[in-house]
This record gives sequence, C-alpha cells and structure tokens, in this order.
Amino acid sequence: MLVAGVDVGARNVSAVILQDGHIVASGILTLAGEGAVASREAITQALKKTAFAFADLRCVVATGCGASSVPFAHRQSAEVVCQARGTFWLLPSARTVLNLGAESSRAIRVGASGRVEAFAKNDRCAAGSGLFLETMSRVLEVPLAEMGDLSLKANGWEEVSSICAVFAESEVISHVHRGVPRERILAGVHKAVASRILETLGKVGIKSDVVATGGVAKNKAVVRELEGQIRLGITVPAEPQLVGALGAALAAQEQVARS
Amino acid sequence: MIEEFREYRRRRHQAAIAWKEENKGKVVGTLCCCVPEEIIHAAGMLPVRILGEHEETTEAALHFSTNLCPYCKSCFDQALKGSYDYLDGLVIPNVCNMVKAMYGFSKHLLKIPYIYFLEVPQRLSGNGVDFFSKELVRFKESLEGFSGKEISSQALRYSVRVYNENRALLRRLYDLRRRSPPLVSGSEAQELVISSMLMSKELHNWRLAQLLERIQPRNDEARQGIRLFLSASVLDDTDFLRLIEECGGMVVADDMPMGSRYFFGAVDPRGAPLHALADRYLNKIACPRKMLPQARLTFAVRMMKDSNVKGVIIHNMRACDPHLYEYPLLKEKLESEGLPVLFFRGEETETEREQQRSDIKAFVEMLEG
Repeated sequence: MLVAGVDVGARNVSAVILQDGHIVASGILTLAGEGAVASREAITQALKKTAFAFADLRCVVATGCGASSVPFAHRQSAEVVCQARGTFWLLPSARTVLNLGAESSRAIRVGASGRVEAFAKNDRCAAGSGLFLETMSRVLEVPLAEMGDLSLKANGWEEVSSICAVFAESEVISHVHRGVPRERILAGVHKAVASRILETLGKVGIKSDVVATGGVAKNKAVVRELEGQIRLGITVPAEPQLVGALGAALAAQEQVARS
Repeated sequence: MIEEFREYRRRRHQAAIAWKEENKGKVVGTLCCCVPEEIIHAAGMLPVRILGEHEETTEAALHFSTNLCPYCKSCFDQALKGSYDYLDGLVIPNVCNMVKAMYGFSKHLLKIPYIYFLEVPQRLSGNGVDFFSKELVRFKESLEGFSGKEISSQALRYSVRVYNENRALLRRLYDLRRRSPPLVSGSEAQELVISSMLMSKELHNWRLAQLLERIQPRNDEARQGIRLFLSASVLDDTDFLRLIEECGGMVVADDMPMGSRYFFGAVDPRGAPLHALADRYLNKIACPRKMLPQARLTFAVRMMKDSNVKGVIIHNMRACDPHLYEYPLLKEKLESEGLPVLFFRGEETETEREQQRSDIKAFVEMLEG
C-alpha cells in the first residue's frame, strides 16, 4: 500500500511517501507559485526516487497552512495533529513537540497514546519565526544554514528586542553600524527567538521528552538556547522539516486501513 | 424565519429610526448587560444595544490609543461617523475602565441630548443591592426628567413581565440548541439574542414565540460536529461563531454578554420592581468584573458540564481586562476538569480569520481523537 503526505507550509512544501508503513521517499521544495503545482511537484520528485508513479498512490493527505490548495488530496489534516502524529511515530516517548516553522511556532502536548492534548501558537509578532531568522540572515549577510554554528562561537551576546520583528531588525542594523561582531549579534538574535518560543511553550507546559521540528529546529543555536532555558535536552529528528508531511502520510495510511 | 432576525440586526439603524417615527418615542443606547433596560422600556423608550462594526476605526483612532478595547473603540467610531445620530439618549454603566471612559468622551464629543452614567457596584453583597436599587431610583427619576413623564410602578411591573417573558423564550431557544443534535445552531442563537437587544421587546417576544413553535429538526452541517462551549468577553461578531461551524464545531452553549449572560436569571416579579431589578442585574449575572473568581468559575464550569461539551473555546477581546485577568484561572480550572481549551485574543475587525480557522480545525480534529 502506497500513500503520501504533503505539507504545504509558508516557505517550503514537503512530501513523504510511505509503503506499508515504511518511509520510502521524501522531498522538500521551496514554495514558489501555487500550492497546487508545488505540492504535486514535491510528491513527483519524491516518487522519482522509487519505482512508483503518482497513480500508484492510494491516498494523499495534505497538511500545513496551504493544505486547502492541494486539489488531489483525499483529505486534509491539521498541522498540529500531523506534527504530533509524525513525531510520535519517530519517537514514541515524545510528550512535547515544538514545531518551529517559517511563519509560526507551535507547542503541542502529546499524550501517551500519541493524541494531541493541548496546543498553543506564538502570539501575533513574527519575532519567533523562521522568516525572522531569514531577515536576520539577509541583514547580517550570513547564510541561514551557517547562522547557528557561527552564533555558538560568540563570546557573549548583544541585546536584541524580542517584542517586534521590525524593531529587532533596526536594532540589529544599529549593532552592525557600531561594529559589534556578527556572532555576538547572532547570539542575541537567537536568544530573542528562543524567548518568544518559550512563551508559547509555557502555555502548554513542558513535559519530557521534548522534540523540535520544522526548519528553525535545524538552527543549533536556537535549540541550545532553548535547552538551557528549560533545562532539558531537546531531540531534533534527522529531517525536522519532513515531520508534518510524515504525519499526513500516516493519516493517509490510517484512512486506507479504515476503508 | 431566523433570517428575519438577522436582517433586523443588519438594518438596525433604519429600524430604530422607523420605530421613533411610528411611536413618536425616544431611542436610548446602552452598553453592557448590566443596564436594567426595563426602566427605559417603562419610560416608553426603545433601548438598543450599541454594537461595533467590521471596519477600520478611522475616526476613533484620532481619540483613542491602539491598546484600548477594540469593541468600545468600534462603537465609538460608529457614533463619530454618524451611525447613531438618531439616539436621544445613552446609558453608560460603570463596568470597566474603558466603558467608564466612554462617558466622558461621549459627553465631550457626541451630540446625544441625554447621557447617563449608571453606578453599578463592583462587589456582590446585600449592601451592593441596596446601593444599586437607590441608584436605580435616581436613574428612574432622571429618565422621568428627560421624558417629562412619570414612570409608574404599574409600568415597571409590566416591563418586568415583558422582559421576563423574553428571557424565558430565549432560555427555551437555548434548550433547543443544547439538544443532540441541536435544533438551533450557535450562530443562529446569537442572531436571535442580539436582535432581542435591538428590537422592541413585545415584537421580539411575538416573533420569537412563533419561531419556537415552528422550529423543526434539520440535518445540515451546522448541526453535526464536535460539541463546544464558547466562553467570551464582549463578542458581537457572529461570523466567529459561523467560522467555528465551518470548521466542524457546534457551539451548543455559551456564557457571553452577547449570549446567555443577557437573559440569564429572571427578575422576581413579586418584589418592589426597582429592588428586584437591582437584585437580578447585580446578583444573577455571573461575570468577571464582579471580582468573585471562585463563584464565577464554579458557575461557568457547571454550565459547561451541563451542556455536555468536549471542549471550550475562549474568546477574549484584546484589552478586556476583567476577562483577561480571569483567563488563567478559568483555563486551569477547565483543564483540571478534563475540558480542553482553545484561546483567542480577539479584535473587533478580525484580521486573522485564516489563522483562527486553522487553529479551530486543529482543535476539532484533536477532540475527534
């Protein structure tokens, strides 16, 4: 039985193909243009790594903020539920999932059976999100993928506002003008991001094991800062950006099993 | 037939103007559910609740800072834009800081001939009821001065009867909504309650009684889904209830000022009318401004449990201090009772519909298990 899950996020589209309960392929694309085209493309790319074609898929479940734009999906499932489902499948001891996406961060409390018990998302401001980190990457001229490592080399940090993404950007620019080393500014940026995420986490409570998913989870400095604040280790799956699509694929598998 | 009530709300300004012409009477605006409308009714006037609108508060923005109650700002914005020019009077109760401030602003900036500030005690107590009934005597005398006509005890008793009948009808409506499956949806119920705040009570009683006689089981989408309770501060945005229904939830009960709080508890028809009114409006409305968290929480949780819901959506207007102070206590209490909570901090002109939609969908899917 071949099924697919597709996660249409604010920045990326990811797809996971499951065959009889095993991940056989996956793919991630940066979203450009319509969700309908990009989601099909993500699945097609993933299928190229297998001997199967699109028509072989018994069921497709879509998730993410653009889930409704996937015309070929048999059904949609909420992001929160898919993140929990995917994480629990990878790590059954997970009780708190931090989904750190491009536009929003969510904290999800998961029960012993893998069910969502409660969830919360960041308040209006973008300061805790991936898009904020992208802006900082542009302002500081440090590639997104290198920001975490560079920041960990810093000796101390420079204060950056965690209240507003726009204020934070002008603060960072003034630090740059004053000649503050980039790693110190980055350390401040990551602290600000972590403090916003912690606010969200506080709304559902922290229960071990804690798992971080989504693109921001790839930033080691943010995860390290969060670990320090909550005094607990945080597990990051090998492909944190695929967890939502994995959860959707698992939903597709359940759907086929039920029918 | 429900459409007629929704339409009345939509055309509320024209309807109030038409009422004035037809009855040669005065229209008096009110804010909050602790203004005893019966006294205004007994004076032969039409009480109408002031509502906000889904539009940018461009006029109010010139007078109020951004971090103040969006509902009050929207109401005031409408008044500044002339939507309420037909008002002869306005009654502003002492309920929260923002509503209180509306008194001074209204006196200063609006051309409403009669504006009354109603003192409402903050705490529930015997002394409070005595104080409030004295205040209601003052209010009655003030209205008499305004209209030039005495408000007889007989007229007050008649108004109490008409209002109690309306409350009984709305309670019947809410019973139909609580059934499984509900005969009335949450958004329909709110349209019916809000229209009661705008229409002449006699007309509302007549039309609502007819509606209740005719109501039939239906099986459309709004009557299938996860049973939810909506706990809200001031929420006159019925689109929010429709959004919940679109996402697979059914709001089968609520504790909102623009919902059950409006008609909860009858006025004792046997006592002296003003004292009985003071007792009902002070003691029988459980709201967070009364500073008795334990009593209010016990009341709210009992209501939620009685309605057999799987989860609670809490919608607190941004900057609504009384409700926001209460929220952490309410959330903790509900979760300890095994009722999951989804929280929204609302706006009068909602700009986060899609985010709300995704959260409600997730909540519904979470409750489906």
